Amino acid sequence: MTHSYSLYDPFETTILVFASMFTSFLTLFLIYELLKSKRVRETKIYLSGEPEEIVREPSPSVGNLYWGFIKRFARSVFETLINKVQTGSLHEWFSFISSWLGILIILAVLMSVLYLLAG
Amino acid sequence: MDMLQLLFATLIFPGFVFLVVLSFLTQYLIRKLSARMQRRMGPKYAGPVGILQPVYDFLKLLRAKELLKTRYSMVRAAEISLLLGSSSLIASTLLLPLNIYSIGSPYDFLIFFYMASIWPILMIIFASLSMPGPYTSVGVSRLLSILTVSEPAFFTGLLVPVALASSNTKAPLMISIASARVYELWVNPLTLPIMILVTISLIVAFQSKLMLPPFNVPEAEQEIIAGHETEFSGPLLALAILLHDMDTVVSALAIVYLVLGGPAPFSHSSIEGVLLLTLKYLLVIAVATYVKNVFGRYRIDQALVALLKYGLTPAIVAGILGTIYLYF
Repeated sequence: MTHSYSLYDPFETTILVFASMFTSFLTLFLIYELLKSKRVRETKIYLSGEPEEIVREPSPSVGNLYWGFIKRFARSVFETLINKVQTGSLHEWFSFISSWLGILIILAVLMSVLYLLAG
Repeated sequence: MDMLQLLFATLIFPGFVFLVVLSFLTQYLIRKLSARMQRRMGPKYAGPVGILQPVYDFLKLLRAKELLKTRYSMVRAAEISLLLGSSSLIASTLLLPLNIYSIGSPYDFLIFFYMASIWPILMIIFASLSMPGPYTSVGVSRLLSILTVSEPAFFTGLLVPVALASSNTKAPLMISIASARVYELWVNPLTLPIMILVTISLIVAFQSKLMLPPFNVPEAEQEIIAGHETEFSGPLLALAILLHDMDTVVSALAIVYLVLGGPAPFSHSSIEGVLLLTLKYLLVIAVATYVKNVFGRYRIDQALVALLKYGLTPAIVAGILGTIYLYF
């Protein structure tokens, strides 16, 4: 590599640098257009984790109404449920769930018998 | 310089191909060094010893789906801004002594600084504002606050050695001449304190210019998501990362040539010269990576005070001492 410090006029240098910038911009643009993904996924604006529609709807959704009611007006029921289920002990969770399952099985058997009797 | 030479310099060396390859290598080096400092493995799987990881990441982002927020996003404007920033960095390398076909002129340092430092950062700001969002606004406002101190510090830090080294020559503020003579400033006991002050200033200004810790307040991860880059995704994010890496390379090369003297006292064509040049470049990158890893993130007010104290003030003092040295 040899260097010859030929002295240009500052104006000439500026023109050469901008010509180089223009050339590299065109090259980069072409390569970018060839390589980049053409697929675009559009997302909606969201507010605190909710979609934008949340402020457009005249009334809240059924799910929101349910959880709003449970959390605000049936707090004691909600807290009892949480305390019973989420104690951190697998044994307590199992006994809670199995007791519910027992009730559900009895209900299912009763319903089946009623259905058979009615049929 | 004829058209063919200009095309070669722009597209191959030291322009597009060289700069892109060096950007990927530098990104790999920073990631690997950071990982070692944090007792991690770092890039490992893509290519031998993970050296192709930055290329793989870039291509993956380029082929990924672009995520858009409708109505407010101006993707094309952001793309053009980022490409213009990258091309200005490519063009700026033509003024460095790396270029085989020199296009240097008196005062070419000013053109270099304009292309290598002002354009890229303005283009990043335009690109960010083209993809607006609440975190983007916060990030851009922080970026502008940091810029008001870091750019003058970086400019003064580079200007002082260039002005001193190219004084009493037929070409003031010419990069090639300043670069060839700057090592004389390190061995002169009268100019040594000036060079030490300039080095301190540039270590601080380099970190803040590239938004590396402790000055990464504009993109403060976890605090404001990704700051000014929050809305970039897919190909646009690939471009933004490439522009940042190119900026790192050109800023490091500027310090290597204008403060550390490039391959001097050897020439570019000698093996010793190439080795010395590579070592100096690696030293700059290693220091930046070390600072990045030992500091936590400053708050914006702390960052501005630190920049003023350790970035701008030493540079201004060096400038005053340099003026005294030149005229008395």
